[in-house]
Amino acid sequence: MERTSEVDLETCAELQREEWEVLESIYPDCVSTGLSQDLLKLEVPIELSEPTKILPSARGSGFVNTSSSSADTDEDSAKQEETSPQILSTLPPVLIEFLLPSTYPLRDPPRIVSLHATYSWLIGSLIAHLQRLLIERWVEGEGILYTWVEYIRSGEFLDELRLKRRIGKDSTIRLPHPNFTLLIPLLSAYDASIQLMHFSQNSYNCEICLTSIKGARCILLSCSHVFCRSCLEDFWKLCIAEGDITRVGCPDPGCVKEAREAKEDEVRRVVTEEEVKRWKWLREKRILEKDPTMVHCPVPFCQTPVAMTGEYEEGSGWERLRTCPQCDYSFCAYCKHGWHGPISPCPIYVTDTFVTEYIKLENGTREKEMMERRYGKSRLQKLVKQYEEEQATKDWLSESTTSCPNCRVSVEKSMGCNHMTCSKCGQHFCYRCGDRLNAASPYKHFSTPGRSCFNKLFDQESLEWEPMLGDEFY
Amino acid sequence: MSDARLRRVNKEIADCKNDKASSVTIDLIDNSPFHLKGSFTGPEGTPYEGGHFEVDIVIPESYPFQPVKMKFITKVYHPNVSSASGAICLDILKDAWSPVLTLKSTLISLQSLLCSPEPNDPQDAEVAKHYMTSKTSFEETARYWTMIYAGGPGKEGLKGSPGLRDEVAMAGLEKAHVDKFEALGFDRSKVIDVLRRLNYRGANVPKINDDRIVEELLK
Repeated sequence: MERTSEVDLETCAELQREEWEVLESIYPDCVSTGLSQDLLKLEVPIELSEPTKILPSARGSGFVNTSSSSADTDEDSAKQEETSPQILSTLPPVLIEFLLPSTYPLRDPPRIVSLHATYSWLIGSLIAHLQRLLIERWVEGEGILYTWVEYIRSGEFLDELRLKRRIGKDSTIRLPHPNFTLLIPLLSAYDASIQLMHFSQNSYNCEICLTSIKGARCILLSCSHVFCRSCLEDFWKLCIAEGDITRVGCPDPGCVKEAREAKEDEVRRVVTEEEVKRWKWLREKRILEKDPTMVHCPVPFCQTPVAMTGEYEEGSGWERLRTCPQCDYSFCAYCKHGWHGPISPCPIYVTDTFVTEYIKLENGTREKEMMERRYGKSRLQKLVKQYEEEQATKDWLSESTTSCPNCRVSVEKSMGCNHMTCSKCGQHFCYRCGDRLNAASPYKHFSTPGRSCFNKLFDQESLEWEPMLGDEFY
Repeated sequence: MSDARLRRVNKEIADCKNDKASSVTIDLIDNSPFHLKGSFTGPEGTPYEGGHFEVDIVIPESYPFQPVKMKFITKVYHPNVSSASGAICLDILKDAWSPVLTLKSTLISLQSLLCSPEPNDPQDAEVAKHYMTSKTSFEETARYWTMIYAGGPGKEGLKGSPGLRDEVAMAGLEKAHVDKFEALGFDRSKVIDVLRRLNYRGANVPKINDDRIVEELLK
């Protein structure tokens, strides 16, 4: 009996040494020995098989509930899901400090001294559960360390801790934690740093210079296409210099077709501050040119573009108000005069120009729509109606009346000759041409050969039904 | 940047040379790597099958950030290729250009343009009209052009002897129509020109009366 246990110890020591050597060669980054010689450490990062949604668990920091969660908690989590959907591919390492008893692996399992997750992303109860799971996996006579590392690295233990769940195609991890909102930025930062490390260590084939380049000298765009920094710089610099900002984006043909433009932080990483400034200026300019509510401040030295501020009820008159953010000048967007309140109309000549322009445009055209957005549709239509009424009056006036050359009152002739006497001021005038006539000899205007109204005391139309011959006077 | 342009073009030329399986080739015209000649075979199952098509390639100063300039050297009868100048109407040669596209991929796109004409966005309006009026007649003409200009399959005797080219087939017209108006005393080439311009083909024939044609011929 004593002899066999001595052999056991020797075999055990041999097996332990071998196992540790193998582990060191497979996971050089994961294994280390502690301060005291016997203490061994495994630091195992979790590499999830696919990007996984990390959500808070409604179970809180308490006990691990082995039965499935009730519908209530699912609903709660669903709410939180909307607010913080974090998708991660890695989780910070789990640290195991342990001792190998001299009888390991033939008779005893390793003795775990401490178990801990970086940033404490696994709460105490889960750590305790994990520790039990780790020990349970040991099979008498066999080394367990490699299994432990794989069990943790692959994230398999998350299934057994019932943290990971698969709904349809997507799997989610729900972490109970006393302060999930503080934890999640740490987890994302860790994940980002790992991704960045992987990215900069890998090599990528830049499809612009057709060269394989280390990730450290490449840029990963948000559409997940990778290009070398210097090619992207050449490309974007050229586009920015030429003012062609729609092309400042991913050069991939698919993204070009979608006209996917680069984000500001992407542009910042690639081109100089000066170029970023120009790019931003070009973008602002483009927005201004697109926004039909934009009007330049009429103050000669200011000229700042001013957009419509706030939501005004269409047709209230307030939609004309603009206040320059630069010089605080309040003005009317229609006539560009100082603000004259929502009720008083703009000087008529101003509205006339754009109302006539608006009327000329065909329905459904872009220009028409732009004007409707700029001035407000119902307001415009009101103005059009007003304009049309005024126009009709004007047309009627100009067709059927002549204004008195003295007092400007419009006079309609219902019948008779073209010699008129204004009923308001007594002025004699010609109804045909509107000229003043001498009160003493009003008919000279019509009887002097060479004048435009010679022989036109009566209009042609009226002559047609008059007797053709004879009568000189009616 | 100019260095990068040279490096990339050289790489592209070398890549193309090494890829023996590809139906696309790129050759130097003179000593400059910025003026090249690309060529490819006409795609199978199209009127261009069996033809060898050559393309003039000019690499602009800011290549690959600006699109490469390409036009057909070989005459092609296709709605998106000018039958007179060889100019090509293809989005990737214009606003859909991406610096990721290469000479080879662009030539392959040209090759597939031959498979899928876009008559609604034509470069050659007359050819496009022909295509829309009668696809069979269009294909016949395209095949004839392939035979005459691109060395496509056909009567061997026709090749290299322009005098024997059938101008009526070149224009995608029918001999009987041309003969009819020539018999009225008009010059044959003028008749061909007018009938081609009026798209006197297929379903259009009954729609265009003879007076209209004579009127055009007299102009």
